[in-house]
Amino acid sequence: MANHLPAIVIDNGTGYTKLGYAGNTGPQYIIPSSIAIKETSKVGDQASRRLARGIDDLDFFIGDECIDLNGYSIKYPIRHGIVEDWDLMERFWEQCIFKYLRAEPEDHYFLLTEPPLNTPENREYTAEIMFESFNVPGLYIAVQAVLALVASWSATNGVQSLTGIVVDSGDGVTHVIPVADGYVIGSCIKHIPIAGRDITYFIQSLLREREFNIPPEQSLETAKAIKEKFCYICPDIAKEFDKFDKNPSKCVKKYSGVNHITKQPFDVDVGFERFLGPEIFFNPEIANPDFSTSISDIVDNCIQNCPIDVRRPLYKNIVLSGGSTMFKDFDKRLERDIKRLCNARQKLSTQLSQGNITPSQMNVKVVSHSMQRYAVWFGGSILASTNEFYTTSHTKQKYEEYGPSICRHNPVFGALI
Amino acid sequence: MSATLRPYLAAVRKTLEAAFCLTDFNSQVVERHNKPEVEVRGNKELLLNPVVISRNDKERVLIESSINSVRISIAVKQADDIERILVHKFTRFLMMRADKFVILRRKPVSLSDTRSTILDEKTNPQQQPPTGYDISFLVTNIHTEYMNRFKIIDFIIHFMEEIDKEINEMKLAINARARITAEEFLKRF
Amino acid sequence: MILLEINNRTIEDILSYKISEVESNTKLELVDVTFADFDGVIFHISNLKDDKYKIRVSIALKFYKDLQEHGADDLLQREYGSLLQLPPEEGYNVTLLFDLKNLPENHQELVKKAGLLKRNCFASVFEKYFEFQEKGLEGNKRAVIHYREDETMYVEAKPDRVTVIFSTVFKDESDVIIGKVFMQEFKEGRKASHTAPHVLFCHKEPPMELQDTDALAGDKIGYITFVLFPRHTSKKSRDNTINLIHIFRDYLHYHIKCSKVYIHSRMRAKTSEFLKILNRARPERQTEKKTITGKTFVPTPYYPEISGTSNK
Repeated sequence: MANHLPAIVIDNGTGYTKLGYAGNTGPQYIIPSSIAIKETSKVGDQASRRLARGIDDLDFFIGDECIDLNGYSIKYPIRHGIVEDWDLMERFWEQCIFKYLRAEPEDHYFLLTEPPLNTPENREYTAEIMFESFNVPGLYIAVQAVLALVASWSATNGVQSLTGIVVDSGDGVTHVIPVADGYVIGSCIKHIPIAGRDITYFIQSLLREREFNIPPEQSLETAKAIKEKFCYICPDIAKEFDKFDKNPSKCVKKYSGVNHITKQPFDVDVGFERFLGPEIFFNPEIANPDFSTSISDIVDNCIQNCPIDVRRPLYKNIVLSGGSTMFKDFDKRLERDIKRLCNARQKLSTQLSQGNITPSQMNVKVVSHSMQRYAVWFGGSILASTNEFYTTSHTKQKYEEYGPSICRHNPVFGALI
Repeated sequence: MSATLRPYLAAVRKTLEAAFCLTDFNSQVVERHNKPEVEVRGNKELLLNPVVISRNDKERVLIESSINSVRISIAVKQADDIERILVHKFTRFLMMRADKFVILRRKPVSLSDTRSTILDEKTNPQQQPPTGYDISFLVTNIHTEYMNRFKIIDFIIHFMEEIDKEINEMKLAINARARITAEEFLKRF
Repeated sequence: MILLEINNRTIEDILSYKISEVESNTKLELVDVTFADFDGVIFHISNLKDDKYKIRVSIALKFYKDLQEHGADDLLQREYGSLLQLPPEEGYNVTLLFDLKNLPENHQELVKKAGLLKRNCFASVFEKYFEFQEKGLEGNKRAVIHYREDETMYVEAKPDRVTVIFSTVFKDESDVIIGKVFMQEFKEGRKASHTAPHVLFCHKEPPMELQDTDALAGDKIGYITFVLFPRHTSKKSRDNTINLIHIFRDYLHYHIKCSKVYIHSRMRAKTSEFLKILNRARPERQTEKKTITGKTFVPTPYYPEISGTSNK
């Protein structure tokens, strides 16, 4: 039976695609979600222009191989997490499966991911491609936020809850997504225009004012490396400034890079930007004059918008996901700030009721774990290695009997409450 | 355009022009309902005689009209196995997207649909075409009111022309691909 | 990508990453990865007894027993020598052991070789029969390799040729038909290249050579026969022949799938064209238009004047 072979988990993000076999702790490949194709200059609309002769449509590259190709144009089939160009997406998958994973798709079940608020039509299109072109035996389409919750089970001491609020911060945008019993509360999703890239830009601008020996063409790259290597979240900016002033030798780090062109090594002192960079999550106004709500206010607000009976469980399970939540002590700061907001609110309600109502203490918990960076993929890997996955997935027989509409709904599973 | 195609399409066009004389008509059975009578087939007097226009034994069009709706079913040429699966795949692909094609029916009309209870007594089952249809359109008076009906006819004619061409091209493309892949593999020995 | 690659990228990636880490003196982490390859092969990369510098690469093939009968062990011994770990890891058929602390100079070559593990497992049976053919031995039993659950490969040597027969199953009805087109072209592909082997194909029924075996018959089964001549089996071109033929089944299925991908994109193009034509029937929507000077106006549609309604 095909069940003996591990299932394939593919997480298609806007920027990067994570792909690998279920049962592993990390994806085997993390490649940019880009595809380089040859476009003939023939006139006509896009669709007819692409129709190649013979097997020219196999002449394309995906991921890291896209860069530095002459005569190809690079396309990104996914925009804002949602597939925009199905032709390219289908070919992207084709190469993911046959070139990277080297799998006969007929032998493996597939778990794919989708952003919250994906349209059911898109699920049908995905099913059409997977079942008809690739003959996969089974397919399950999971919501990324739910998978992030599943991934956090490794850090919750055996509590496997599918209720929680996911703070997902990648390179481009940060989402706050409440999930109740495995279903996303779509109307309460919040977006924050601050994510990894903004931190990099901010650090770059700080460095530009002070450090002059960074080659200008390498400044972004340097800022990114500094962000990944040295940045952390501080409990209090004022005290942190103090600490740096008193003990610069211990706090200020050195970053050494090499100029690509001259091959000369250069050194950069890394000072306040160590904590100022990621601080823009909590005090966005220092980098972005148009936006000034701190991430903890947004999470709190988001929970307050949710139905009243899920608010307590949501406060209890705030899950981090994505590379930009990897800063040290991000969880502690977020937890502390939200706790403060909750306590203030409760105090106010006690006051307003003149002591008649004393709400019980709100239990706020931010869950952080080591798989945070690829949380979505890791959650998929956990789910796809359970037996339940094989019984819940949509099978090819069912697809042929009922048509693509069966994939509109993918029942949640895996919660042992 | 081959010699038989032109009169075939012309016949379809003329028939459609006549059939598209639709009017608003309330249901006689359920109060305040307005249903395409060609689908409901509840009242004999509201249905007109269906017309089959055949180019040959494989390609034909069935046009069923009624007071407020017309159903057009097309049987596409399928000369061999590969054309058969291509037609099947393509029509299913289109019908999946029937929402966007407002006049497309989600399922082709099957033979049992066309033989309604009322008509059964009259029509001789042997006159029925031997196989079903691949794709059907349903045009109601609402469609003809807000869209240009001559343009709808243009679309149906264009569709009939193009689908044969496209199936043919796809078939050729598959053959070409097969040849190239075989050659690529074998020349490396 | 027209031909499938024969090496496994994941093995190469993991090993070269580990080696680069050792070279730059980064602290190593434990590795434990299980992944698959074509034909139901499973690889497992892990550490030996939690020693971060000892990496095991194991392969499990369901049909390894079939290969063993044809000298797979000897061939792997020849290819990998001291890298082979005996006995292999439990649950796997072959294990290679890399000691990152004392790697030989040519470690890049070793990594490449590790990537070819699956290919080398397959190679034994071909090499053995190519050898038979060269020596002119006849009357050998036909080799039967159940390389997939329901698909089998037969290899037979005659003094003047080696025949390799693949049976393959098409899961989908449309695959049967597309597959037939492909196999037909393989049969005729000889015209394009004179050095190519002779290819025959049967659909539904096994070929004459397999009449006496348990070869299955059925609507969805196809048989492809490659007749390899001495110029393919000679020592010089042997490796190339093995590289090509052992991946043939996956190559065929890969291209059938690519054709379906291509059909899909054609259908998408045609569908959007049809939609455009249909939308011409809809009346033009009333949108604001701009004149060349930048003024905006709403074009009034033309309505024929009906007597009595116009205001005078």
